[in-house]
Amino acid sequence: MGITIEKVSKAFGDFAAIKDVQLEIPSGDFIALLGPSGSGKTTLLRLIAGLESLDSGKILFNDIDYSNKTVKERKVGFVFQHYALFKHMTIFENIAFGLKVRPFKLRPSNQEIKERVYSLLKFVQLEHMADRYPSQLSGGQKQRIALARALAVEPEVLLLDEPFGALDAKVRQELRHWLREIHEKLNITTIFVTHDQEEALEMADTIVVMNQGQIEQIGSPDEVYHHPVNAFVYRFLGRVNEFIDSENEVTYIRPHEVVLRKSAQGNSVPAKVLHVHSVGSLVRIQLNRLDTNALFEAEVNTEKYQEIGPLKKGDLLYATFSNLVAFGNEQKEALTAIL
Amino acid sequence: MNTKTIAQANTVSLQGLKKWVLIGIALAFLGLFIVIPLIAVFSEALKKGIELYFASLTEPDALSAIKLTLITAAIAVPVNTIFGVIAAYAIAKFSFKGKNILVTLIDIPFAVSPVIAGLVFVLLFGSQGLLGPFLEAHDIKIVFAVPGIILATLFVTFPFVARELIPIMQEQGTDEEQAGRMLGANGWQMFFRITLPNIKWGLLYGVILCNARAMGEFGAVSVVSGHIRGMTNTIPLHVEILYNEYNFTAAFAVASLLAILALFTLVLKSVVEWKSRKE
Ligand SMILES: Nc1ncnc2c1ncn2[C@@H]1O[C@H](COP(=O)(O)OP(=O)(O)OP(=O)(O)O)[C@@H](O)[C@H]1O
Ligand SMILES: [Mg+2]
Repeated sequence: MGITIEKVSKAFGDFAAIKDVQLEIPSGDFIALLGPSGSGKTTLLRLIAGLESLDSGKILFNDIDYSNKTVKERKVGFVFQHYALFKHMTIFENIAFGLKVRPFKLRPSNQEIKERVYSLLKFVQLEHMADRYPSQLSGGQKQRIALARALAVEPEVLLLDEPFGALDAKVRQELRHWLREIHEKLNITTIFVTHDQEEALEMADTIVVMNQGQIEQIGSPDEVYHHPVNAFVYRFLGRVNEFIDSENEVTYIRPHEVVLRKSAQGNSVPAKVLHVHSVGSLVRIQLNRLDTNALFEAEVNTEKYQEIGPLKKGDLLYATFSNLVAFGNEQKEALTAIL
Repeated sequence: MNTKTIAQANTVSLQGLKKWVLIGIALAFLGLFIVIPLIAVFSEALKKGIELYFASLTEPDALSAIKLTLITAAIAVPVNTIFGVIAAYAIAKFSFKGKNILVTLIDIPFAVSPVIAGLVFVLLFGSQGLLGPFLEAHDIKIVFAVPGIILATLFVTFPFVARELIPIMQEQGTDEEQAGRMLGANGWQMFFRITLPNIKWGLLYGVILCNARAMGEFGAVSVVSGHIRGMTNTIPLHVEILYNEYNFTAAFAVASLLAILALFTLVLKSVVEWKSRKE
């Protein structure tokens, strides 16, 4: 199902949580709402689900206005941030809930419900958990059950609020792949909320970057990462160095784009090593520019590090900043206008 | 043994002493004010033999008092249970203007002396009262009749269920209800399949306390009852009358019913607490 969000706004009291948001989601897309805490991601998701009412604007599903339709009519599956499994029901009953509450005429037989629940349990690879209670599951298992429960009613849109927020890094990684696979299999329009840029870049077809209730940029992971429209998006999508020159002009460069050498070359800048630490296959080096005294970070792979290193505090290197980007105010406005 | 360990041993035994003194005080207090009176009730009640005990319970006035108490509880408890659930639901799961006022209103029966509560009903519904002429004209009797007793009991017992449920419901939030809604449940299904199972132990606890108070209430009921024997006497009022007539054995026999109710309530309460903790 394709979703169109047309000039949607939502305020809580005086506080505008969503401001004039415009978004077109093609059917079958896998889309990430990415933004800092409080940027309105959950609110936008709840507006789409119908859990929150619109102040103005429209939400269309397949070009039909659904703004005033009930939650039930929207055929939306929602996976809550903290799973919201029914504590007093077994896993089986949790998944069967959506089928059991259907009006008599539409309700499948008990046998059909049973078959459906077990096929979903198999789908999320937790077949042997049917008789357990939610409190007896791990976080990752709960998350999968929450997804199975949402899928039981065969939604046409799947909404996930920080699906992996509460899980540890390893389980997170596994579930990311798993969710992506599920999307490939079912191919239903999926929107997930995250404030983890890596997660969004890795999983989504389309990334929507949000800030203070507004959309800053919409694009493929490649577009938003390599062609950010403004400083906010640039900064939010990865580690950055920020330099301010004498005219108060701000320029940015990512640590991995800084080139370090042992000898001066072209327009390189001398810099002193402050701190070195390695993270996996990368080495991060904190340095101090000797010309402006500004601090910056460089990131190199271990091979490159062997070329220039080993380094210790106080060593002198030459840095080249060839990909500096700037977002002048006019430039920012021009880019927003294009979009 | 060096001096340091001696000092330590001293502080340890001092701690132990403190502990036992405190426990002793608590136990002595409980014994003096609860256990001894309880024993006294039963021993007084049975002093003149088991036959007289049962005779005191089965004489017509006693039976009528028991019946009225049961009727009162049978009305007040369900009404206040329904009211309590609705009020707690509204307060815990919705935000609206005047919420604090509603919470305060629910607490009024706890804050006001039951006698005052009874007096309010007399002032409202009595023959000199605000609605008196109207009621008299239509031949409706509230004060000094069964409806007054039920009203007074309703008033006095209405916070129990709501008070018990509000914190439980607030803690549970609305996540599960919202999940239910997303899965297509309607209001009733949400209430009976999600909300109610989540609050069942708290609800039962509130109902037990509400019932104990409904059956045991004296002050408010005493004011509106008029003490008409065989008509408007509940168990506590009947006990008072018997006692005032120096009919101690009968008074204690009937009072022992309330004591049994209290013990029963305590046992039930512990069972509920234990069950809910287990879940
Ligand atoms: N029911 C509400 N009443 C009042 N304010 C609210 C309500 N829900 C959200 N807000 C406010 O709206 C803003 C956006 O909230 P929202 O939950 O959408 O943010 P978010 O992007 O999901 O953040 P997070 O990453 O922390 O979950 C926040 O400032 C929040 O305080
Ligand atoms: Mg959120």
